Amino acid sequence: MPVYVDISRCIGCRSCEVACDRVHGGKGHVNVHFVGSLASVPVFCHHCEDACCTMVCSTGALHKEGDKTAFDVDKCTGCGLCQLACPFGVVRTDKIAHKCDLCSGQEMPTCVMTCPANALSLDFDLASRRARNRAAMLITRGGRA
Amino acid sequence: MIKVDPGKCLGCLSCSNVCPNQNIVLLQSADTRTVHWKKCKEECDLCVEFCPAKALALVAYDELVPESEISFELVACRVCGSRYATLPMLMKVEASLPAGMQEDASGLEWIRICSQCRRDIEAEKAAGQVMKERKRISP
Repeated sequence: MPVYVDISRCIGCRSCEVACDRVHGGKGHVNVHFVGSLASVPVFCHHCEDACCTMVCSTGALHKEGDKTAFDVDKCTGCGLCQLACPFGVVRTDKIAHKCDLCSGQEMPTCVMTCPANALSLDFDLASRRARNRAAMLITRGGRA
Repeated sequence: MIKVDPGKCLGCLSCSNVCPNQNIVLLQSADTRTVHWKKCKEECDLCVEFCPAKALALVAYDELVPESEISFELVACRVCGSRYATLPMLMKVEASLPAGMQEDASGLEWIRICSQCRRDIEAEKAAGQVMKERKRISP
């Protein structure tokens, strides 16, 4: 279960990046990318079902725990293969691997709590529910969706 | 001391990271990575145990054997050209992943693209729908 982004809400403020850095001792794993001057997208770990990073990890440091791609820091040798195996470029190696742990121990990841634009959530359907609600609101006011 | 099999070594960061005595030195420049194994007299075999390619072995100390060193030219990213990985590491990743996962929907061989560019591509894809709407509003 990853952090989902409602890109139409992202304002590119990089608060999620800063929050992640703060919680993970300056080695955060959120990167806000800008697409031209019109859109910004924070790129997160997808916690892939068939996670490539776990397939190349030779010590089992990266492994699946239910629907989460978990990381056991004690087993990591920092070889760097996971960074090369991540299709989204969100695993980083700096002596050891650094990747999203959904702020384990917390009920809600810090990036989700911090986002001032409410663009982040753990709810897969939230963005499409909002879009449907906006369309419904328009129609009730006599506009066109 | 440690014996290296140059045919197996990936040029990864594992052994230099786990060595408790800094006997394995990593030298990295913009386009080359060199791993240098000093001749240690330790009986420690942490690097042997954790080598993902099983390229290392603990052998008896021999004064006559020179220190080992392997240099790897770093592979350039197909998008931005920055050098980001050793070829054996990329080949190891390619050998570890199912063939169907090594190309994205557009046929891009993403393993040969650096992390930064992979994120850029992901961001562009994710922003597709939003960009269409915003271009319509502010062309």
